[in-house]
Amino acid sequence: MSGDPTSSMGFTLKIWRQSAPDAKGTMETYHVADVSPDMSFLEMLDVLNESLIGEGREPVAFDHDCREGICGACSLVIDGQAHGPETETTVCQLHMRHYSDGATIHIEPFRANAFPVLKDLVIDRSAFDRIIAEGGFISTHTGSAPDANAITVAKDLAERAMDAAACIGCGACVAACPNSAAMLFVGAKVSHLALLPQGQAERNRRGLAMVARMDQEGFGNCTNHFECMAACPKGISVENIARLNRELLRGALAPRRV
Amino acid sequence: MGLTGLLLVGFLIEHLLGNFKLLEDSTGEAFNEYVLWLKSFGPLLQLAELGLAALFLCHIALALRLTLENLAARKQKYVVRGTHGEKTPGSVTMFITGALITGYLVKHLLDFRFDERYFEDPAAFVKLTLSQPQHGLAYLMAAFVVGLHLSHGFRSAFQSLGLSHPALNAYLQKLGIAIAVLFATGFAVFPLYFLFAWNGPAR
Repeated sequence: MSGDPTSSMGFTLKIWRQSAPDAKGTMETYHVADVSPDMSFLEMLDVLNESLIGEGREPVAFDHDCREGICGACSLVIDGQAHGPETETTVCQLHMRHYSDGATIHIEPFRANAFPVLKDLVIDRSAFDRIIAEGGFISTHTGSAPDANAITVAKDLAERAMDAAACIGCGACVAACPNSAAMLFVGAKVSHLALLPQGQAERNRRGLAMVARMDQEGFGNCTNHFECMAACPKGISVENIARLNRELLRGALAPRRV
Repeated sequence: MGLTGLLLVGFLIEHLLGNFKLLEDSTGEAFNEYVLWLKSFGPLLQLAELGLAALFLCHIALALRLTLENLAARKQKYVVRGTHGEKTPGSVTMFITGALITGYLVKHLLDFRFDERYFEDPAAFVKLTLSQPQHGLAYLMAAFVVGLHLSHGFRSAFQSLGLSHPALNAYLQKLGIAIAVLFATGFAVFPLYFLFAWNGPAR
């Protein structure tokens, strides 16, 4: 079965269907056949949708864009796990060879009040954009690309900033968190700027402003289950949450100019 | 949450050390002397007790707020609840173990601190109380629950306070478990001893 591209698999899918943001959703059962083990999870859903459209039924709405694991658009909770069972893998990079033929798979949207369901498996993640708008930027005019090493950054700091900047803002951390907290996302965004010289100008207010917005958007509070880190397709470490907590303390203690 | 929690761990250390005075001698003289020594502080002791009560209330109030906000943050629950493997028995039961500890704390205070007979002969009263199954078993359960609470709480407090370093985190995790086991077994010694190994009050 697995690994043989000529073989065909079939699955029973239990998928969350919800016609509109205010509509009541429910899990509905579908059967999908003729799935190649080398198809991605999203391609398997494409196969299902083709057959639904052929039958004159409403296809399942789901988010996707790059399908190469870098955009953060795909957002499914598969059998209770954000982005499914593979570590550091987005749904679009999850392949059906990881499932056994005939398996029953439950598919739900990322769930949090701050991520309202728009339709079926599609959610509204603009809360993340509003958090970024509060401080996830630098206001220095950077001009054209500077000469290499014109601004010196220590190697280990550059590495850690890069690790934090790997966050694609998919929201799996919120989906996997028992409290629907967004601390890993905010921690990553605050960390990657706090570690670099370019991020220093707004450093003292950045964390406080972004966390205030995060609370306002209705995300929960971090209680350090660390599920987010395990769900993150980019392997963002909870180290960034500890750094965010330090940045908050730093911001709170910083002298203010009137 | 983390700061109040760590300060309460400080109290637990003192409490456990004080308890071991019970086992220093069979007459209970050491423990009674310790109680008298504490009482000799007079108003300072009362101030410390008030501070401790305030610490407990802060910890409980913050926990209530945290839990209510977190419950409200996901109104539509998952149909299938999975895990990515990082949750622990301690981390998912923090509110329940906290509530149990609070409940037991009230009973514990009524049994000892607010029972006038306690101060007549503290050691003898503690031994007699803990040798009764309904009190001894409740104490035993509380010891286990405190351990479970600390198995997550200790490590978690450091993370919340921003005290995290890749080189230290693995040790902190182990230290948290060690402290949980230490307190659970340390406090369990007393009900177990007075329930099963003690020969009864001296005649």
